[in-house]
Amino acid sequence: MGTENPGRPNFPMRPSFTPFASAPPTVRPFSPSGPGTGSESSNFRPIPPGAPPTMTPFSAAGPSPPVRFSDPSVPSAPIASVPPSGAPYQRFPTPPFPSAAQAPPNRAPPMGQPPFQPPAGQISVPPPFFRPQTQVLPVPMGSPPQNANFPPSSMNVPQPPTDSSLSGPRPNFQPPFPGYPSKQPAVSQAPSPFPAQQGSFMPPPASPSPFPSQQGSYGPPPVSATLGYQSRDQMQHPGSAPPTGGVQRLTEDFSSLSVQSIPGTNDPGLDNRSLPRPLDGDVVPSSFLEMYPMNCDPRYLRLTTAAIPNSQSLVARWHLPLGAVVCPLAEAPEGEEVPVINFASTGIIRCRRCRTYVNPYVTFTDAGRKWRCNICSLLNDVPGEYFANLDATGRRIDLDQRPELIKGSVEFVAPTEYMVRPPMPPLYFFLIDVSISAVRSGMIEVVAETIRSCLDELPGFPRTQIGFITYDSTVHFYNMKSSLTQPQMMVVSDLDDIFVPLPDDLLVNFSESRNVVETFLDSLPSMFQDNVNVESAFGPALKAAFMVMSQLGGKLLIFQNSLPSLGVGRLKLRGDDLRVYGTDEEHILRLPEDPFYKQMAADLTKYQIGVNIYAFSDKYTDIASLGTLAKYTGGQVYYYPSFRSGIHGDKLRHELARDLTRETAWEAVMRIRCGKGIRFTSYHGNFMLRSTDLLALPTVDCDKAYAMQLSLEETLLTTQTVYFQVALLYTASCGERRIRVYTAAAPVVTDLGEMYRQADTGAIFSLFSRLAIEKTLTGKLEDARNSLQLMLVKALREYRNLYSVQHRLGARMIYPESLKFLCLYGLALFKSVPLKGGYADVQLDERCAAGFTMMALPVKKLLKLLYPSLIRIDEYLLKPSAQADDFKNIMKRLPLVSENLDSRGLYIYDDGFRFVIWFGRMVSPDIAKNLLGPDFAAELSRVTLTEHDNEMSRRLMKILKKLRESDPSYYQLPYLVRQGEQPREGLLLLVNLIEDQMGGTTGYANWITLIHRQVQQN
Amino acid sequence: MVKMTMIARVTDGLPLAEGLDDGRDLADAEMYKQQVKALFKNLSKGHNEASRMSIETGPYVFHYIIEGRVCYLTMCDRAYPKKLAFQYLEDLKNEFERVNGAQIETAARPYAFIKFDTFIQKTKKLYLDTRTQRNIAKLNDELYEVHQIMTRNVQEVLGVGEKLDQVSQMSSRLTSESRIYADKARDLNRQALIRKWAPVAIVLGVVFLLFWGKTKLW
Repeated sequence: MGTENPGRPNFPMRPSFTPFASAPPTVRPFSPSGPGTGSESSNFRPIPPGAPPTMTPFSAAGPSPPVRFSDPSVPSAPIASVPPSGAPYQRFPTPPFPSAAQAPPNRAPPMGQPPFQPPAGQISVPPPFFRPQTQVLPVPMGSPPQNANFPPSSMNVPQPPTDSSLSGPRPNFQPPFPGYPSKQPAVSQAPSPFPAQQGSFMPPPASPSPFPSQQGSYGPPPVSATLGYQSRDQMQHPGSAPPTGGVQRLTEDFSSLSVQSIPGTNDPGLDNRSLPRPLDGDVVPSSFLEMYPMNCDPRYLRLTTAAIPNSQSLVARWHLPLGAVVCPLAEAPEGEEVPVINFASTGIIRCRRCRTYVNPYVTFTDAGRKWRCNICSLLNDVPGEYFANLDATGRRIDLDQRPELIKGSVEFVAPTEYMVRPPMPPLYFFLIDVSISAVRSGMIEVVAETIRSCLDELPGFPRTQIGFITYDSTVHFYNMKSSLTQPQMMVVSDLDDIFVPLPDDLLVNFSESRNVVETFLDSLPSMFQDNVNVESAFGPALKAAFMVMSQLGGKLLIFQNSLPSLGVGRLKLRGDDLRVYGTDEEHILRLPEDPFYKQMAADLTKYQIGVNIYAFSDKYTDIASLGTLAKYTGGQVYYYPSFRSGIHGDKLRHELARDLTRETAWEAVMRIRCGKGIRFTSYHGNFMLRSTDLLALPTVDCDKAYAMQLSLEETLLTTQTVYFQVALLYTASCGERRIRVYTAAAPVVTDLGEMYRQADTGAIFSLFSRLAIEKTLTGKLEDARNSLQLMLVKALREYRNLYSVQHRLGARMIYPESLKFLCLYGLALFKSVPLKGGYADVQLDERCAAGFTMMALPVKKLLKLLYPSLIRIDEYLLKPSAQADDFKNIMKRLPLVSENLDSRGLYIYDDGFRFVIWFGRMVSPDIAKNLLGPDFAAELSRVTLTEHDNEMSRRLMKILKKLRESDPSYYQLPYLVRQGEQPREGLLLLVNLIEDQMGGTTGYANWITLIHRQVQQN
Repeated sequence: MVKMTMIARVTDGLPLAEGLDDGRDLADAEMYKQQVKALFKNLSKGHNEASRMSIETGPYVFHYIIEGRVCYLTMCDRAYPKKLAFQYLEDLKNEFERVNGAQIETAARPYAFIKFDTFIQKTKKLYLDTRTQRNIAKLNDELYEVHQIMTRNVQEVLGVGEKLDQVSQMSSRLTSESRIYADKARDLNRQALIRKWAPVAIVLGVVFLLFWGKTKLW
């Protein structure tokens, strides 16, 4: 597409692209810092610039402006437009400048709009095509002397492409051009802070009230007509502020960033402070809920864009993932719990054909005797018990007693037909490694102690079942029969043919055998104190646990401390071979080595067993293989590299306790239904796909989310709205079988701009990260990153093409307001643990563990991980008195740039998984002393943070507690680091300051420039 | 040995509780569960059944007691003493009524008293071994008489319902058939009448016509 960049021909810095392509290391976005650098892919190398055919109009227009300007053939009708339908328009004809006002009244409606109009009625954001007029209007005011000439010129404002196809508007595009130069004199009076070349970009007019500062900021030299155009957007007319302000606010629908670069330097010329940053965390777009107030809350279901494209061509042009992220059991705040409905004898009302559950969007007809399914539009009979009369507006009169007809999220009590067996009891089975490394690390002690302290809070009392197996080179079973006073241990050493030595009592009802279980847990650490066994018969132990559990299913928690070395499922030390990186073999390292694991995972899922892996080793344990068990059984991987109970004990304690006590759904299946014409095609997350669209989830809890992509089945959607319905059938810990149903509606649009406007960055990145991680399992890291970058670039380019013509964007980078963090999160994803660098950047185990974790994270948590918060706290700590509202003030997040680290300050970095507390070099010794106690001068790696008896320390602890409370799913372990303490500072903090340029990775500003350049290329 | 235990409401066959790991090491547990469900369905239809009954199925026997509109059913080996089985059910019944007695009628969801499974589990273990002192004592105890309890075959029992259904189906078919027959007969009757008298009527009509024509013409 050659139309995107009017300013291109004049671009002086253009040639510098080619040097860039041959890649000075600093510009290179993400080259691994390991030896894999050579394999840099050429995917994002800019194509040498070629003059696109579309430039011609511009260059032609340049030299002969006056001619064109007075050219009578300039069509005015197609350009002018005032459809009286749009509310924003009503304001339009009454701006206070008379000269301009004469233009609007006689505008004819724009062509090509109809397809867009239906949604426009509902959508609060004004459609894009209104903007041009508003921008033009002020122009005359900027140059009063030329008013006489201007009205026509404003008529000539290019008609924006209504269907975003760029070829259409091009003819219209020329006329305004000539109008421009005539304004030049007025314009050029302003001081021009920018060099004359095209590469200078204007500050974004993104904010609704940009007028004050930007007036003087354009300085297009008269020679270049195109440049003049770019600057026109910025030219904010001093006199017209109030009225245009309103219009501007209503019509602005993209944001832009001026990207300027001086040829020959690497200075991106971007104002670092003006770059968009998600300092407020995850912001859920609200327009969706406003449009359809009966939709379920976005915490359960988020669409990547709340506007569903109506045709496949539109889907193809939306280069971002199209789909949804579902967090089926997200924790609801107090008072917003999902209502539980029991239909009892009526049976659950569902559509006969598509099995949709009754929801707020179904319509009742025929005096309430029939209802029409909103998803497949089949007319169903209303059962007698469910019948209610309709009122005059066609609504049921009993609406307020039927939460399922007014709320998007409800829970039904499932009748017998939804059970293949009686609801299972909550079941926890522990598989604990007791080999020497486990003993030495102190893991056993912490685990035993934590389980013991959680016994009372295990859900599902009094049915909860519990059992234990320990293993080293043999497998140990424990008879916990309630009549015993202490557990009996049975050792099975035949690993090749493992068997269960006792038919019952290995798995016992906890409330009955409580004493035995407690005795066992108390004695567990001492039992193996002197164990010197280094082997680990993981596979056989897993099989044994499977045999014990297979009757009931449940949750299996595996505590593994070394590489499985005996029996079936033994793993080799295939290790992290640096030679493999950059070759086609690379991804095999990230896949399970032994098919045993995948097979086992399939069997476990079949018997409703969910596996959570806790791995502790300081050496390679092949998380890639172990994690497979968790991946396919809906579980989770917790990884504590080089676990030491003294240091990591708290983290393990908290996370294990959370795992045991959080509300868990058992033996669940989930399905998402959607309207005719669209279909969910792929699912991403930790689960097993049972049929084409049924996710089998042996255990689910509030910390798991699942993403899915959808595609259009038909070439054209004819409906106005599509509906989505997520249904999760599960057994609650209390022994009830329930169906959680979420329903949401989304409009179908014909306009790409609308899709972008309704985009949800959080959901997009949730999908993006999963896609990228999956890609690392089938290819090189490099390829995964490249394809991600390509998607970002394509998406932004498409968006740019939408607006480039009528806005003369020049070298500004534009993006929809809803996706203003697209680039930043993209960069963060590149630098995230599963994707970053190469061999030397992250250990393989850590990379795999992070990959498994990110595949399950809910949106909010993921965004926090991608863009962690950095908070300065020393001022708060020093303040004499602390009020409650102070607390909010200090929680101000800072951009992740090392410039922000003041050496006199104390900072907390929080990515949701750990804290890094950074002590500046010049931080007052008082603070350090108060916080760290007497050993404040010692090496910080050996100091653990404990509460000391002073106000400051208490306050710090309070802050940490507050931060942890905001999200209890993981425990953030504090790491202390002092400025300049290498290499710890680098590893812990600096490498995570994602906006910085660090060893072979790109900084934020450079990244923007890089993306921008690629966007401009074709 | 007790293989399976189920408790259901008789009025509508709603399952209320079930033994925990029922059907472990049982090859066709599913089939037997289906049979039990069919049995409950039969009971809920209100066929008058004895409140205590043993039903043979394959190598096993179902024993059930109905008390207070709740059916307590267990499946045992054939060799398992009947007396013990009914003792076991009595134990369950007593405890169930004690704990949940008040809510049985109002239970709206299936397995509303699934928590009872822990008690089932516990009691089951007591009855596992027939040779324990406790169980032998119970066997010798003549207080509880089980000899009169009827023993039938599962096919028979499930068949009864089927047969009744069949009979009612047949009778309803008969009614509709006979109605059709009556209609047909009436119709035929009318036709016969017409056939009988039509020629006479036509002849008469012609004669009258001729007469009328004659008087007119002449």
